Amino acid sequence: MTAIDQATVFRRLRRTLAVNGLRAMLETGRLRFYTMIGTSALVAAFVFGLSAFGFLELFGSRIPAKGLIVAGLFDLMFFTLGTMLLFSTGIILYASLFASTEARFLLATPARADRIFAMKFQDAVLFSSWGFVVLGMPVLVAYGLTAGVPAYYYPLLPLFLLGFVLLPGSISAIACLLFLRYVPRSRKQVIAVAGAILLALLAYWIARTTSASRAALLENNRDALESFIGQFKLARNPLAPSHWMTNGLMEAARGETVRGVLLPLALLWSNGLLAYLLAALAARRLYRTAFDRSAGGGGRAKRYRGNLLDRAMELLVFYLDRPTRVLVVKDFRTFRRDPAQWAILVIFAALMLLGVRNFNLFSSADIQGIDRYIIGFVNLAGISVLLCAGLSRFIFPLISLEGRKFWILGLMPVSRRQILVGKFAFAATGAILIGLALVVGSELLLGLPIEGVLVHALTIITVAIGLSGINVGLGAYLPNFRETDPSKIVVGFSGTVNMVTGLGFVLLVVAMMALPMHVAATLRHFKNLEFIAFPWWVYLGLPLGVVLGAVATLLPLRAGARSLERVEF
Amino acid sequence: MIELLDVEKKYGTKVAVRKLNLNIRAGELFAFLGPNGAGKTTTIKMICGLLFPSAGTVRVGGFDMKHSGDEARKLISYVPDQPFLYEKLTGREFLQFTADLYGMEPDAARRRMDTVIELFHLHDFADTLTERYSHGMRQRTVFAAAILHEPKLLIADEPTVGLDPKSIRELKVLLRKLAKGGTTVFLSTHTLDIAEELADRVGVIHDGELIACDTVEGLRRKADTDGTLEDVFMKITDEAAGGTDGSARLAEATA
Repeated sequence: MTAIDQATVFRRLRRTLAVNGLRAMLETGRLRFYTMIGTSALVAAFVFGLSAFGFLELFGSRIPAKGLIVAGLFDLMFFTLGTMLLFSTGIILYASLFASTEARFLLATPARADRIFAMKFQDAVLFSSWGFVVLGMPVLVAYGLTAGVPAYYYPLLPLFLLGFVLLPGSISAIACLLFLRYVPRSRKQVIAVAGAILLALLAYWIARTTSASRAALLENNRDALESFIGQFKLARNPLAPSHWMTNGLMEAARGETVRGVLLPLALLWSNGLLAYLLAALAARRLYRTAFDRSAGGGGRAKRYRGNLLDRAMELLVFYLDRPTRVLVVKDFRTFRRDPAQWAILVIFAALMLLGVRNFNLFSSADIQGIDRYIIGFVNLAGISVLLCAGLSRFIFPLISLEGRKFWILGLMPVSRRQILVGKFAFAATGAILIGLALVVGSELLLGLPIEGVLVHALTIITVAIGLSGINVGLGAYLPNFRETDPSKIVVGFSGTVNMVTGLGFVLLVVAMMALPMHVAATLRHFKNLEFIAFPWWVYLGLPLGVVLGAVATLLPLRAGARSLERVEF
Repeated sequence: MIELLDVEKKYGTKVAVRKLNLNIRAGELFAFLGPNGAGKTTTIKMICGLLFPSAGTVRVGGFDMKHSGDEARKLISYVPDQPFLYEKLTGREFLQFTADLYGMEPDAARRRMDTVIELFHLHDFADTLTERYSHGMRQRTVFAAAILHEPKLLIADEPTVGLDPKSIRELKVLLRKLAKGGTTVFLSTHTLDIAEELADRVGVIHDGELIACDTVEGLRRKADTDGTLEDVFMKITDEAAGGTDGSARLAEATA
């Protein structure tokens, strides 16, 4: 018998890892597995439902050139998803090729550089395509079902999808390798400048598109419509892979010519495979030297000091005693020094505000009162879910992460209760500031009446405090002191329990405190009672919600404090 | 087996290793000592081909690490201070992966796997996922994988951390046995009595420079002391730092 080649070695490794991983998850983390599948299915079903509704509306209306509109939408969707893949694959590849212990291990073995790259590339593309499957596929299936396409359209979907993801993945891989090989110093500055240029271009494009879309809606003439469609010409360019996707799928949907389907498919696959080969070649030539540069390109170590933000944080928790305030500032300092933690929150918040502002701009001419309420309610629910996700990710693992260094806190002259109160104060202060700013800011932009803003403000404060109590309390009640990676703590059993509890709490509080007002607004709208004040029962849920918030805060905190008292170090 | 010629490594503006010349013959057990941040791990990474020198040449088994690194790495096994294991593989599956990666014939691989499982007492947990291993179990598994393909050069960075006294004793016996069998062992450690007990030669690196390289006896003569390797090490590194005795300073500070 002869030794097997490296491709087979890595294929076997991936298969064994996948099988063992699945088996372990089914044995010990069944709840997490089903939550993951269930959440994905729920999101996919929601996207499918929304898309199917949209397509049915479109096909049922008398709008001309429906095919062109669908093609335009598809172009835009594939272009957006392709751009997202470009960035997400690049980030994942950077982490797995240059910052992981596995890469260091493999690079010290006879494994070929392009083999290591191939394995990591497949993982990265698979991981970043998950969103494509959950968000893109339901839209395409909904289109197929509503448009009555031939049966072979459906099996073609994964073929198109697989061909499409290769191209952005490979391009970002090449960019990642070239960047790390040839930009050894001042990488952060280069990324910051490139990011700023990209953001400026994006802002310019959004401004132009918003203005063109507004003109198209208000002026309702051909020139304005063409000007609006013109904003997406990059996605509609015949050389853009997103356009090949659209062309191929639309041809398949029409069931016209085999050539019309196969040519775009061949274009996608041939270009994708060529790009992949180039990426593998780049990896063979550059990966080891790029790794060397990435490890050895550090500049002078940055000196960290306390700053104004720390002092502001300390002022915000003035009601605590000095040792607890010190603990709060310590947690805050750790948080603000890790941009990976707060950058996600900033992006989500910016997108949410942008969405609200756009809605307002789009519809300022004929916005209905009821629309403001509906958008305001969706906005409140969205921000509450955002807080739930953010706190679950950043606050829940805090106590677990103290695990290996718990003796430091344990030997300090502060009680365990104070540690917990400090973490709660830190979480609640941050959550209230973020939640309140987003809710009040976006609803003032929307033009919601003052009583609506006040109800939503009270709701988000309750949500923020309750979620902080749940996350800190359950974090202490169900700690995982063995794990040092916060993301693994979050997706573990206790993290899943916490996430589900948090979502349930959000659902209850929003339904109790804010929903009655929106129900009343809807009733008022449909009965044409625009100027009548809200009835008394609209506000009945407010005290109930506050009580629920207090219970959700105190019970987990008390359980967590008792559990923490028993921890040995 | 290992040749370092005028090797220099810079991290940005910081020089981590400067003008390092070292020649280690096959079958030698070489201990590499130095304070924290002296350049030990950087040197090891250059010998493994994880990093490339900014200047100079690193050769292993006659292969230039920059140009024929893949050939050289077939001869090397590296056990880092924080060993890596795939969490979703069992110990036995990890050994199989290592055997396949080093191109071992399946029958020979099977025999060697049985041998190393026996040698490192892995039977009880060889079929358990490594995510459940303690540090000691991980260390033993990594060592088993490292010697599975009978490397010509074994590089170990702090190999005794997390091992119990019995395992340390067994490891010491194994390292000596490997060296006797012709394997070159490059050992980086802070545990000076292990270096004193095992090493044919000891190299001391300080602030990126090799300030001493000799047998333990030779180092004693140079340091002009009859003490332990610890005394020799303290004297050499303090002299290199151009200061007074470190332990005397510490005693002064704590008085």
